[in-house]
Amino acid sequence: MKAANMIRLIIDSRLENVSLVGSAVRGIANTLCIDSTTSYQLELCVVEAVNNDIKHAYHCQAGHSVEIDVLLYPDRLAFKIYDKGESMSPAKVAPFSFDPSKVETLPEGGMGVYILHALMDEVHYKTINGQNIMTLVKYLKNHEKPG
Amino acid sequence: MQLKHNNVEDVLIVRPMEKRIDASTAGEFKQKMNEWIDSGNRRIVLNLSEVDFIDSSGLGAIISGFKKIGNNGNLVICVVKESVMSLFRLTRMNRVFDIYTSENEALEALSGKA
Repeated sequence: MKAANMIRLIIDSRLENVSLVGSAVRGIANTLCIDSTTSYQLELCVVEAVNNDIKHAYHCQAGHSVEIDVLLYPDRLAFKIYDKGESMSPAKVAPFSFDPSKVETLPEGGMGVYILHALMDEVHYKTINGQNIMTLVKYLKNHEKPG
Repeated sequence: MQLKHNNVEDVLIVRPMEKRIDASTAGEFKQKMNEWIDSGNRRIVLNLSEVDFIDSSGLGAIISGFKKIGNNGNLVICVVKESVMSLFRLTRMNRVFDIYTSENEALEALSGKA
């Protein structure tokens, strides 16, 4: 299905730039009249994916591009995050488990992939000709056509 | 990162004034929390009223402070926006942290604990 609308965002690979992407995603979600919690969760997932690119594809080295395409379809919202850094190993959903009553088991990191798979309806990752593409899809349930 | 803090008796109240606790600010947040804990604060209220976005790095920094205090005290949280609360629920951190709707409630809870 062809996208009704597409918005392209490009940032330099600095963690401090990621909030710009987050704010843009939240703004787009607000335009679609998505509720505030879902809007937050969309922002969170895109931020997690872009953070992953900067940290793991580019090893927090500035000077590289992360491109985020926001594709608006009548029934879903898709985000494609592109980088040309080191590809990630197949994003297996690591078991996210801890005992809330045992302080030592609490996670301090490694929650990003779990969050993506828990909140997004589709998560895909592939590498084509040296370019890595993470695709996140959120179905717009019971939603009027955008625009 | 701007963090307001004050003491009410032996309880330290920490209030981030930024809207975001994320990968770009988590390191600084964690460092400041560590400094306060290292200097002897064992009962801490984290007031998140100004915060409308936390990502996994920001959450990890909060968890880090909680773990550092361990069984020697408590870090409790208050005034969490519903959207941010969804992250605590998703990661089941709402079962780890005591989360209160007001700063007074949080203070009363900490004061009541030996």
